[in-house]
Amino acid sequence: MSMKKSKTWLVFISLILLIIFRYFSAKPVYKNGDHIRITTTFLGGKIAGLSVFLPKYPEVSYGDKIVVEGTVENGKLVNAKIIQIAETKNIFYKFRQLLISFYQSTLPEPYAGLVGGIVLGVKGGLTSDFWERVKNTGVAHVVVASGMNVTFVASFLMGVATLFLPRRKAILFVILGIIMYLFISGFDAPLIRAAIMGSVAFSAQELGRLVTAWRALVFSALVMLLFNPNWITDIGFILSFVATASLLLFEKRIRERLSKVPEFFKEGLSTSFAAQIGVAPILFVTFGYFNILSPIINALVLWTVPAIMIFGAIGGILQSKLILYLSYPFLWWFSFVVTLFSS
Amino acid sequence: MVVFIRRYIIQFLTLVVAGVWLAIFQLPDSNLHIVACDVGQGDAILILKGSVQILTDGGPNKKVLDCLSEYIPFWDREIELVVSTHPDADHSTGLIDVVKRYNVGTFLANDLDVSTQVWQALKKEVGSAGVRVLHPTNGLKLRLGLIYLDILHPLEGFESAKTNEYSIVYVLKYGDFEGIFTGDINQMISDQLSVNSEIGTVDYIKIPHHGSKNGLTENLLKVLKPKIAVISVGKNSYGHPHEEILQMLKNSNAKLLRTDLKGDVRIATDGKEYWIY
Repeated sequence: MSMKKSKTWLVFISLILLIIFRYFSAKPVYKNGDHIRITTTFLGGKIAGLSVFLPKYPEVSYGDKIVVEGTVENGKLVNAKIIQIAETKNIFYKFRQLLISFYQSTLPEPYAGLVGGIVLGVKGGLTSDFWERVKNTGVAHVVVASGMNVTFVASFLMGVATLFLPRRKAILFVILGIIMYLFISGFDAPLIRAAIMGSVAFSAQELGRLVTAWRALVFSALVMLLFNPNWITDIGFILSFVATASLLLFEKRIRERLSKVPEFFKEGLSTSFAAQIGVAPILFVTFGYFNILSPIINALVLWTVPAIMIFGAIGGILQSKLILYLSYPFLWWFSFVVTLFSS
Repeated sequence: MVVFIRRYIIQFLTLVVAGVWLAIFQLPDSNLHIVACDVGQGDAILILKGSVQILTDGGPNKKVLDCLSEYIPFWDREIELVVSTHPDADHSTGLIDVVKRYNVGTFLANDLDVSTQVWQALKKEVGSAGVRVLHPTNGLKLRLGLIYLDILHPLEGFESAKTNEYSIVYVLKYGDFEGIFTGDINQMISDQLSVNSEIGTVDYIKIPHHGSKNGLTENLLKVLKPKIAVISVGKNSYGHPHEEILQMLKNSNAKLLRTDLKGDVRIATDGKEYWIY
């Protein structure tokens, strides 16, 4: 083993050890029956490592500072009550709120929920019926925060930045842009994974070092687990890791075999086929569903996503109804396909 | 460069044309439509005529938004009138999101202080949206274009401990077509209405209280002689709709339509004829 290789291994092993240490030290210390009061910033999902079902009203928005009271029971907070809500003062969360309410007051459902999901990864905006449909057709990854959002933001920013800046500075601009996007869309596991992976890959490419995508993937996963060890049991985290791994393994091979498919659909089809190979068994085991047509449905809708993202983001930032309306034909098509295949 | 720009212009124009076509297909016709939205166990009834919409109650969840999206063109974000018949959650929960997302012209509701979370949240939302609020008063008549609404109940000074008894009841008139919307009124109010001098035969009735036996009465049915009876009901543990009510309607020769069996119940009228579609 060369000197360089053993050094890399050392880094990986110490990372893994750190994660194990963090996992056990970050475990919640609450016992069953404990009556607790937690003050936290609401970011969706678990609160202090506990699953919580909050009452429907008063409604809590992302980023709000809340005080919750409840009783601990097997990792859950039962009889949760909201004692206090302070609206967020954080400018990023406020901006996110501004965009969502603009979408909701300009477009009807499910279109408003779709734009919110595609641009910001907001899941809660969709009505329950449409969310079921989106899940059953296997396109949920498009409307929740996923690596795809970051990939699109990065490539869009890169395209804009290289028009004005030299490549080296453009990359810095893109990384800053992605960090801002993370702030606005919330630090969801898949977004962070993609952001870290993307940043590592981008910088590595620029510095001329050969870092395989595999190493970047494993490295980003380990760093994230260091940040939050609980993610190792988070189904979203596992899914995005497996999906990216299967992309790396199968995408190219599948694409080579699709020589007869028109360019238009090829990328959507090959990426979703590849991702499905790893993801489908996990989905089937955990949620009990699996749609054999999913890669085709994905290919039918994925081409609309960049347009929805661009018109949604620009329309939202400028608060322009006309620009947002430009996304309407794409949204209509997206919901038409999903509805068609789920009935 | 010129080719480049030309390509973008063509793409942009294609997009605009696609949008215009989608819009054309959503243009409303000239008839009045009444849609009892399938929102599960609850009420949400949408009345549409041209660009005028009247929503009566919003059901127990956000499902009402799907119903609004389906029947209102995507660019029309104004609902001219929202009637909140009474504060119960299965009628008013969905209205919170409606008020949040749409421009509501007028909000007609009882001036009640009920401490439920839903009613408080709705009141807060209506207040912060700055919507014009109307309370039912004796002989209140509303007119929106060619649509007339006569409010029959509750009268000023009405007091009760039961929220259902406050249900706003109105008759809708469009040309020769008449329909009555009854919220969750119980037998006592039904009988009171049956001797109301302003009440006559109707074409359409929204059966009170999801077909509960403590709702419609023989007396009221005899006066109204409806041709279409709509029950807005979903899965529930109360036994709605009750057998007695179904039997009563069967004997009356009214055509019964239920949201739990049919989904959205839609009828249209040109002011003379009406049809189910």
